[in-house]
Amino acid sequence: MKLLKFNIMLAVLLSMVFTSCESDWLERDPPNILLDEQVWNDPKLITGVLSNYYDRLPTHTSITGGWVDFAAYDEAMWSGYSGNDWLNNLPTYDFGRWGLWDYGFIRDINLAIDKLQNLSELSEDVKTQFISELRFIRAYVYFEHVKRMGGVPIITEQLIYDFNGDPSYLQYPRNKEEEVYDFVISEMEAILPTIGNNGSQTRANRFTALAIVSRAALYAGSLAKYNGQMASPITLPGGEVGISPSRADAYFTKSLEASREILQEGGYSLYRNNADLGENFYEAVINKGGNSEVLWAQDFLSSADKRHGFTYDNIARSVREDNLGSSAITPSLNLVEDYEYLDGSSGELKIRTADDSDYIYYDNVEDVFANKDARLYGTIIYPGAPFRGQEVFMQAGVAVWNGSAYDFVESNGLGTSYDDGGILTAAAGPHRSIQEVSNTGFYLRKYIDNAVGASTRGIRSEVWWVRIRLAEIYLNAAEAAYELGEAAEALGYVNILRERAGFGENSLSTIDMEEIRHERRVELAFEDHVVWDYKRWRVAHEKWSGSDSNPESMIYSLYPYRVVRPGHVNDGKYIFVKSVAPRFRAPRFFQMGNYYSLIGQNLIDANPKLVRNPFH
Amino acid sequence: MKLNIIKSCLLLILGLAAASCEYDNFEEPKSTLTGRIVYEGEALGLRSQGVQLELWQHGYDLFQKIPVYVAQDGTFSAVLFDGDYKLTLIRGNGPWMDNTDSLDVQLKGNQMIDVEVEPFYTLSEPSYAVSGNTMTVNFTVNGVNTDRDLEFARIYFGRTSLTDAIRNEGSFSVNGADITLGAPMSVEVEIPSGLVGRSDVFVRVGVKTVGLQEQLYSQVENIVL
Repeated sequence: MKLLKFNIMLAVLLSMVFTSCESDWLERDPPNILLDEQVWNDPKLITGVLSNYYDRLPTHTSITGGWVDFAAYDEAMWSGYSGNDWLNNLPTYDFGRWGLWDYGFIRDINLAIDKLQNLSELSEDVKTQFISELRFIRAYVYFEHVKRMGGVPIITEQLIYDFNGDPSYLQYPRNKEEEVYDFVISEMEAILPTIGNNGSQTRANRFTALAIVSRAALYAGSLAKYNGQMASPITLPGGEVGISPSRADAYFTKSLEASREILQEGGYSLYRNNADLGENFYEAVINKGGNSEVLWAQDFLSSADKRHGFTYDNIARSVREDNLGSSAITPSLNLVEDYEYLDGSSGELKIRTADDSDYIYYDNVEDVFANKDARLYGTIIYPGAPFRGQEVFMQAGVAVWNGSAYDFVESNGLGTSYDDGGILTAAAGPHRSIQEVSNTGFYLRKYIDNAVGASTRGIRSEVWWVRIRLAEIYLNAAEAAYELGEAAEALGYVNILRERAGFGENSLSTIDMEEIRHERRVELAFEDHVVWDYKRWRVAHEKWSGSDSNPESMIYSLYPYRVVRPGHVNDGKYIFVKSVAPRFRAPRFFQMGNYYSLIGQNLIDANPKLVRNPFH
Repeated sequence: MKLNIIKSCLLLILGLAAASCEYDNFEEPKSTLTGRIVYEGEALGLRSQGVQLELWQHGYDLFQKIPVYVAQDGTFSAVLFDGDYKLTLIRGNGPWMDNTDSLDVQLKGNQMIDVEVEPFYTLSEPSYAVSGNTMTVNFTVNGVNTDRDLEFARIYFGRTSLTDAIRNEGSFSVNGADITLGAPMSVEVEIPSGLVGRSDVFVRVGVKTVGLQEQLYSQVENIVL
């Protein structure tokens, strides 16, 4: 007992000795947390914060987030894991589908700007540049909000609660839709001189900001114009939704000027590094080395372990590597037929004779796709097209001549052979019911990595996600110019893009809105555009009307069959059958209430000043 | 070691005691609210899954609506707890005038209510007569509130009793400008080729008001060919 007492005494004494050595024992910097003064005074750490913010920018469908929704519209359908077949069976689009209310992120940005202004002792130039970049990110986030929700409260400073029991002074009503668009545009214009980052393709620079103006002003202009043209425009009394048609021209002008500035001064050019035009278009999106076309991308890097599994999930069935699953998103025949023939005729595939009496017979399965817009090859793997130097051969079954007509024979498995020793169902399908095999007869090529090993779980892909590339700027310019009555200028822009896709010089001699919209669809497929375009043109409810008699609401497939007709000239040739994709169940149905997303009841409860969107 | 046995026995008892608690002790709702959407006492024909009513209950922490879908014959039903609810119409959702007033519903046991709405246009029950491959449809469109224009009246043919603007096998449309309100109309329609040769078809007429997604329909009728 005595010993114990002594021990305690010793411990107390010792600790007193040690504490007295270090007078600021309680005021040391934590070893595992970065303090404000440290972060906001070190450009490297600020860049780290920025990279976190860039990574958090919202997208609806990108190769890392929400990519399954590529299969939710009419560009593609879901052919992967059958548990996700609800994507092919969406009776309606949920009102909250595109909802976004990320004020946590906006607060983070506001705080960062505030701290740079008040805490940082960096030089004025460096501070201004970082603040400009943060303002770019904030304006972009507001743009993402307004295109989904309509007008949202614009908050540009941190809101602090004073614990007086009444939070109503923190409850801001929604700004008008046009006010948010004006805010986005004016912020972008304000930072043009100070943002820096010249030449960067992943951090915002002057031309990235102009590109957002080009896009946002175009959206605002077409919303103003086409909402006004509806039989009954979608508006709210306070202007939270709906823009006066009188403002359309001003927005279009703004957009066109920004696009022109990029085209003339940006130093960007369309990607033309590969003589094979189809491969060239594919590389234009995925090639990261010396790609002069990409303005802004979200980059990935294997060595930093920043990778994604988009290739793993979506690679064509027959070329997969160590996959357990694959082939999730498969493009639809609707999209394939949107790619025109190079002679300018409509892209509808020639599978039946002109009088519809017989099939057209092809020697090779890929011949039916000959002489099409090179962007088809660059976007979609069609039957017989190569990927990584390997042919992706597709055959659904055989068509056996029974003396008067064809009997179609299909197999329950893949890579099977028919009685005559030839292929019955190819290793790549298509197949009516097996999961992870194309159900439409096509596979995705855009954004699928062609590097060996990119679809393995160990390596994965480092292909980047292109947020903005020059082709979109051309199309934005064309659309804005056409809306302003400058058809000749619009025609020029569109012809440049068509020339790269293999059409002759000046392949179009006249242009209309229909053609511009069509170009957007084929050029920008799978780049997160189709929903927003259809919404701002106010055509989404007509394109996706929920009726199975509307071909644009349905997903069609194209199945190749080998003809078995011994002794006949057509024996061994291929015929094609078009039908609604077997795994596709419910027509796409976009309701009027989908034009603006639902503002959740929890948000309205917390802030009664928010008004609901129309039809909700 | 002895201590350990006692400890583990104690633990076991504790575990048993906890497991025997019944967590799943909610009683399921039992009362049924049924009703109809009516105008002048008559249920309105609608698209199934098209029109939604909202039920709200104040006084609880979680304030969320209970969505109630209206069937195509204008009826609806919901199984609920007893209590006081407010029933509201969603703006611009159905083919009738917006009404921001809510309807008080005091639910105690099963109950039936009629929700009175004011449509823009109504249809008097149409009659159908078949001769060969054509069908003569007689109907009258009545204007109730004509501050919104009539876009069209459309005759829908279907294979099943779920026939409307979304689910149909063929339709025939009459422009709003060609319709005289209140006057009987007679339209001769060819039966869609996909339905010719069947023993019966389902038919109904819908009227569309400009700017509203949902139409107001007549009740579905099964016509023998």
